[in-house]
Amino acid sequence: MRTLRALAPVAVLLAACGGGGTTSGGDGDVVELRYAFWGSEDRAQLTQEMIDAFEAENPDIRVEMDYADFGAYFDKLATSVAAGDAPDVMTMGGAYHSEYAGRGALLDLAEVDDIIRTDEISEDILAHGTIDGSLYAIPTGVNGYAMVANPAVFAQAGLELPDDTTWTWDDFAQLCTQIGAALGDAGYGAQDLTNHNTLSLWARQHGEQLYTEDGELGISAGTVTEWWEFALELRDSGCTPPATLTGELASQSAPEQTLIGTNAGGMSLIWSNVLEALSTASGEELELLIPPGVDGGEAGSWLGPSMYYTIGARSEHPEEAARLVDFMLNEPAAAEAFLTDRGLPVNADVRAAIMDQLTPVQQAEAEYLARLEEAAGVPVPPAPVGSTETAGIVTRLNSEVLFDRAAPEDAAERFIAEVEAALRP
Amino acid sequence: MTTVPTFSRGRAPGEPPPAEPPRAPEPPRRRSPLAKREGRVAYLFLAPWFVGMVLITIGPILASLYLSFTEYSLLQPPEWLGLDNYRRMLEDERLHTALRVTFTYVLVSVPLQLALALALAFFLDRGVRGLAVYRSIYYLPSLLGGSVAIAILWRQIFGTEGLINQLLGLVGIEGQGWVSHPDHALSTLIVLNVWTFGAPMVIFLAGLRQIPAMYYEAADVDGAGGFTKFWRITVPLLTPIIFFNLVLQIIGSFQTFTQAFIVSGGTGGPADSTLFYTLYTYQRGFGSFEMGYASALAWVLLVIIAGFTAVNFLAAKRWVHYGD
Repeated sequence: MRTLRALAPVAVLLAACGGGGTTSGGDGDVVELRYAFWGSEDRAQLTQEMIDAFEAENPDIRVEMDYADFGAYFDKLATSVAAGDAPDVMTMGGAYHSEYAGRGALLDLAEVDDIIRTDEISEDILAHGTIDGSLYAIPTGVNGYAMVANPAVFAQAGLELPDDTTWTWDDFAQLCTQIGAALGDAGYGAQDLTNHNTLSLWARQHGEQLYTEDGELGISAGTVTEWWEFALELRDSGCTPPATLTGELASQSAPEQTLIGTNAGGMSLIWSNVLEALSTASGEELELLIPPGVDGGEAGSWLGPSMYYTIGARSEHPEEAARLVDFMLNEPAAAEAFLTDRGLPVNADVRAAIMDQLTPVQQAEAEYLARLEEAAGVPVPPAPVGSTETAGIVTRLNSEVLFDRAAPEDAAERFIAEVEAALRP
Repeated sequence: MTTVPTFSRGRAPGEPPPAEPPRAPEPPRRRSPLAKREGRVAYLFLAPWFVGMVLITIGPILASLYLSFTEYSLLQPPEWLGLDNYRRMLEDERLHTALRVTFTYVLVSVPLQLALALALAFFLDRGVRGLAVYRSIYYLPSLLGGSVAIAILWRQIFGTEGLINQLLGLVGIEGQGWVSHPDHALSTLIVLNVWTFGAPMVIFLAGLRQIPAMYYEAADVDGAGGFTKFWRITVPLLTPIIFFNLVLQIIGSFQTFTQAFIVSGGTGGPADSTLFYTLYTYQRGFGSFEMGYASALAWVLLVIIAGFTAVNFLAAKRWVHYGD
């Protein structure tokens, strides 16, 4: 036992010496890249298809996948970046690219702008990956926040899908409660809707913003209080599940375990690129609706980047990494493998090229985004440094509210204080 | 793997009496060349352990002491802050929650676990047929308890649709989601910890085996009942073992991480009810890139554990009886 433990460091040292960045192949050196992303086995499979196509065109590069569940991904990434073992190409989401770029962990993509082509990508989209004037991250695709609805569950409750161009939160609450009552023990009208994206939507509908252009918190305590009061109404009316079930659902992120995925819920707020995975899980023809609005107000939803490609600042092979990123962004071959899995492609030409190949579900997603583009308001400003903590803060305070341990106005005050503290540099 | 230690003075009751120590030490002798060579070889064999100890344990520990006085985001060089990290703890409400959760966990689960371990050891010691089998079965949870698989299983068992609620359903009680309710989530983790009573039980069993039968025989002659014998003979002679288990379990419980991380999905939820100290340290370090603050938290935990252990050793003078 002792001896083994004592020898472990030696073994580690030996292993470290063995693994270099390049391995000699039969004909010249092959560069090995590590590409990190989060997601399910399905996504890994699509990614492998993309890698096969990339390696066929670039025999001098070999790509190794490094993926984890969303819940574990950023913990794992932080550890490996801190250890100086960052993947060459890293997928980012939310405000993580700002955090990493702000701390010097990402390559300024201007250094490889002769390799990564961005002419076919709109400025609005690129702006999300631009930090302090430099481009560090390129969105993988376009996404929209949406209310997914399960027509089968609606039918079970004897209800029709609403007209999503006019519906309000009151309409939603009514429908949702009716479904909950009709399903009884078999399900709920909707999964609890509270998260930081919903607060962003709610803020926009109330003439505020979750974060301002200057990277400050823009939502007021009053608006947050109103949301939580509404969430409590939904819980009490049988629209959303009791707090314990909501807690269980919040602690896992697999589509197969959501209420929609198990056909035990009528509606849920999701990102449009999750539609495919949810449809597979539920086996039903799910529909995307524009989220309900405040009577006569803004629709509030928006088109945003789904994820970002970034390159590690200390990558030994920035040029090869840039070739991989360029391939994923601009080559139809990559888009044919990914389709809409990383959002609808940002490159307009590529998007047009794959339109015919989309499955019916993906077409529905593309149609939704086209409809949303008309209804969407001003773009959401890029998420500021420190805002990655907001998601956790909302989830925690939400369970305080749903378990009646904190009044909505107290939780709102705490939300403001905690997020402001996290945003402070 | 675990040996019954002998604390400070004397020996555990189990141990055979030490060989008669040499009364008068022999005059210092010149070491033979063979002994010298053997000494060198011994150090050579120790070298990998020593290098590992310095590089992998002591080095990082000292580095974390330095980092605890800095702001360190992992990605940029640390910046000196002085005592700011330690000052910040006074006002960190989530830290106070974490302390409350961790102390509750330690103070409730350790006594329960030791009581259960002692009770089962006592009954197994009364000559059960197939003792080895029972001992293995009861020891098994100790090997598994800290694992990820068991934590995932626990989440299922105590979930809304889990085994516990199905059993309760059979007798007509409507259960609830135990791990997802802030009032009960910590209790399920306490149950998990109590369930891993096997390791202290095996040590108790070894201790019980070493209590000379003559004490009990003498007590029988005097007409002592079962309870009196347990209270007046078994417990006093077992106190060194109880003390050993107590110290180890308290230290181990303060460091609980895996179970809380898995059961709450890394959040310490619902509503911070399973926010263990180590989990909070992890969140600050790896979730928010505040390695400096996380290092300071780790050092405070060290001080807390050292404090508990010191108090234990001081108190032990009053209640632990060594055989001789």
